[in-house]
Amino acid sequence: MSEILGSLVILAGSVFLFAAGLGVLRMPDSYNRIQTGTKASTLGTILVLIGLGIYHPAWIGKLLLLIFFVLLTNPVSSHALARASHRRGVHKTRHTVVDKLHEAKTVKGAE
Amino acid sequence: MIKRLFIFLVLFLFAAMFYDLADNYQESTELSSLATRYVDKGPDELGAANLVTSVVVTYRGLDTLGEVTVLFLSAAVVGLLLGLMEKQAGNQSQKQDKTESSELVQTTVQYLLPIIFLLGAYIFLNGHLTPGGGFQGGAVIASGIVLLFLALPYARLRHALLSVLESLSGFAYVLVGIFGLVLAGGFLDNRFLPLGTYGELLSAGAIPLIYIFIGLKVGTELSVVLEHFKSDQQD
Repeated sequence: MSEILGSLVILAGSVFLFAAGLGVLRMPDSYNRIQTGTKASTLGTILVLIGLGIYHPAWIGKLLLLIFFVLLTNPVSSHALARASHRRGVHKTRHTVVDKLHEAKTVKGAE
Repeated sequence: MIKRLFIFLVLFLFAAMFYDLADNYQESTELSSLATRYVDKGPDELGAANLVTSVVVTYRGLDTLGEVTVLFLSAAVVGLLLGLMEKQAGNQSQKQDKTESSELVQTTVQYLLPIIFLLGAYIFLNGHLTPGGGFQGGAVIASGIVLLFLALPYARLRHALLSVLESLSGFAYVLVGIFGLVLAGGFLDNRFLPLGTYGELLSAGAIPLIYIFIGLKVGTELSVVLEHFKSDQQD
């Protein structure tokens, strides 16, 4: 039973990982690609690890630790990447409406 | 035209050489006599659970000392050349616009850095038991330093302290080798300390000691190189 359940959770995780790959391929600009890659792959990785934990209950401690590090590093590194590209002026898609970081900077500069 | 001809000639010679190698290649089905000796006697003689380590640190320890020397020389030359360039460029003092990264990154680095250093130390402390060792542990520590520089570009390392630590570890490594020569069978022999219980943290004679020194040396050395690459702002 736990084997089937674990496999299903792993399958769900791989669906998210696939979506992340598809998003990186299809999204219009770097910022969108970064956010797809991060959100979907974070969830996908966590689901795969949880599925492994259901499959092999003995590994749960190490897997939880891995999930903790994925949660700690994955969003932060994407955040740093996105900020760096914003600073370098990497082009946004023309559908972009809101740019809060740009607004914050101009307000700061005006003061 | 002649140049092209030469290129084709060289390509042809390479092809002939590699064709010969590929043609005569036979997969070896058993260990060579030297490898058999290592595999049969290694665990009993040296007491290291990681056989690769006992080969790298003890049987071929002299080669490892050579590798450490190569790394030391390259680090020294990098320091020398970049130091000269800094001196030349120093008078103009062009301050580059290095912006600090966001608070999010800085906070994460604060929490991650000790864990990365801990992992590096774990890798070189367990070099005689699990895969990894001094070089790998040192490289992990240096990768933590890269992270630090990414988050805080103006961070400065304690140059003098690191250099002293690096020199002392290199010196201690050679000293351990000489202890082996005097007290046991030869240079870098690990058996002048008790071998202990096979597979425990404190076992395999002097191998953990050697790997601690290599780990410290590689870690500090690479960190100093990294700081040299970074430090174009001299204050």
